[in-house]
Amino acid sequence: MSPLPSDAMTIRGVLIEDTFAEAFTMRVARIVITGHSTRWVRAAALKLTGFATSVIGCKCEAGVERELAASETPDGRPGVSVLFMTASKDDMGKRLIERIGQTVLTCPTTACYDGLPGLPDRVGVGSALRFFGDGFQSSKVVAGERFWRIPVMEGEFLVQEKFGMLKGVAGGNFLILARSADAALAAAEAAADAMASHPGIFLPFPGGVVRSGSKVGSRRIKSMIASTNDAYCPTLRAITKTALPEGVNSVLEIVINGVDSPAIASAMRLGIDAACRDGVVQISAGNYGGKLGPHHFYLRKIMEGAAQ
Amino acid sequence: MSGLVARLKTRLQQRADLSEVLAEPWATRSPSEMAGRAVYLERDGRVTLGDLFDIEGQSSGRIEFTGELDLADRLGAGLQEGEVLVKGNVGREAGLAMAGGILDIDGDAGPRAGAAPLGYKRGMVGGEMIVRGSAGPESGVAMRRGLLVIGRTAGSQTGRGMIAGTVIILGAAGPDTGLWSKRGSVVALGKITPPETYAYACTYQPIHLRIILERLRSRYRLPIQRKHFTGLYHRYSGDLAELGKGEILAWTRS
Repeated sequence: MSPLPSDAMTIRGVLIEDTFAEAFTMRVARIVITGHSTRWVRAAALKLTGFATSVIGCKCEAGVERELAASETPDGRPGVSVLFMTASKDDMGKRLIERIGQTVLTCPTTACYDGLPGLPDRVGVGSALRFFGDGFQSSKVVAGERFWRIPVMEGEFLVQEKFGMLKGVAGGNFLILARSADAALAAAEAAADAMASHPGIFLPFPGGVVRSGSKVGSRRIKSMIASTNDAYCPTLRAITKTALPEGVNSVLEIVINGVDSPAIASAMRLGIDAACRDGVVQISAGNYGGKLGPHHFYLRKIMEGAAQ
Repeated sequence: MSGLVARLKTRLQQRADLSEVLAEPWATRSPSEMAGRAVYLERDGRVTLGDLFDIEGQSSGRIEFTGELDLADRLGAGLQEGEVLVKGNVGREAGLAMAGGILDIDGDAGPRAGAAPLGYKRGMVGGEMIVRGSAGPESGVAMRRGLLVIGRTAGSQTGRGMIAGTVIILGAAGPDTGLWSKRGSVVALGKITPPETYAYACTYQPIHLRIILERLRSRYRLPIQRKHFTGLYHRYSGDLAELGKGEILAWTRS
């Protein structure tokens, strides 16, 4: 390998590339699910956030923000906070109604609340799901917020009428370039663990990690929105314009979505720091030249003070 | 406290109708403006609030009434805004057909608190009325929306003919509570005997009650016990002689 330039930023010997992650604006809602026990809260959250990795194929992106103690929830039961993102306001209502209706309403003991109260931008959810009650539903207004009680075989499902939403940020990311697949995986796991439960963010991909980073469009099929990021595929090093440094044999990506840029930057700092470990050569990031997304996360700026 | 304070000058010798005192808009009115509002005495007719009360403080959407107000009727009638605190008891028809805001009575309320005016079909249509003591008969009659909380015992026919809304009784509920209700909820944390025209449905834990009870505990410092949060409730549907979409939720030890 060629020696690093003198002004290169490294953390424990891992080069932090002088580049940035490019992210996009999406609508975000925070869904608070409570239940009889963490077992059922997790079960509902798992289903609610299933198949919600990328808006390209799933119409939404969602993930668990953190688990909530009973003292933090509206009804004093164990809970979980889920962040849920869509490309547009209209989509938010549609997706939440579909998903909460199929995954939380159906889950024993759960109730579902708005985790972004007080926002002017609100979307009806309980106001649509109530019709499942077939005329037997009823509502209660507490402190100005309406809650729907939908009779179900177990008892009642309680869901808030409207959920707040705001403009969030999706697509914060960094790439872990490692000497081996094992090293990349270990670093990605460490990064995901470090960012778990960081407030205001979630990692939409399985285990928080993506192995199939994409580029915009396709070389062969015009109708495809995205295709494999061949520049970072180690098996294509010899036959494409590669971006991989010498000695790199595996790349994993961490994608971070959040309620705002500071939350993502803060989480990226934790994740990148954790990923800088044995077997990792370089940390990079995905961008489109800065032309597509308004949010730019410069790796070296984020990691200022952490470098050795 | 911030806001206005209205102190009764001397004990009332006759019933006083305060129904116009808190007519909208009152929240931004100065002490002198409030002092000019009309009060109707049972024998002596029209006087002003300032004739009966010393009023001081700064307007901020909050007013506190102090003194022996057992003969003060219709305080907070038609209330739409702000927070009204009463240190002590009040007379009849407090919060009559109130529509918004908060009426928080530290003591007992006379008959027909939060009820519909006689001859009218609708009582409370919004707001929150807290009676920390007991409330007389026919409180919450024909309630349409809102929350009425009675800290101790509730008189007979509380919530009679409710159209919707919520009545929560921390003590014992009087006979015929919830009679002829169409919708709405009567929540009884103490003893209650549902009318014969209610039918037992099930015993369960209504999750929405946890939210309401938590608000009563945190916002109003009412003595809601843990057993009421986590306990089971008998649900009775009724009044089956009416629409039958109302309910009585009776806390149970079982």
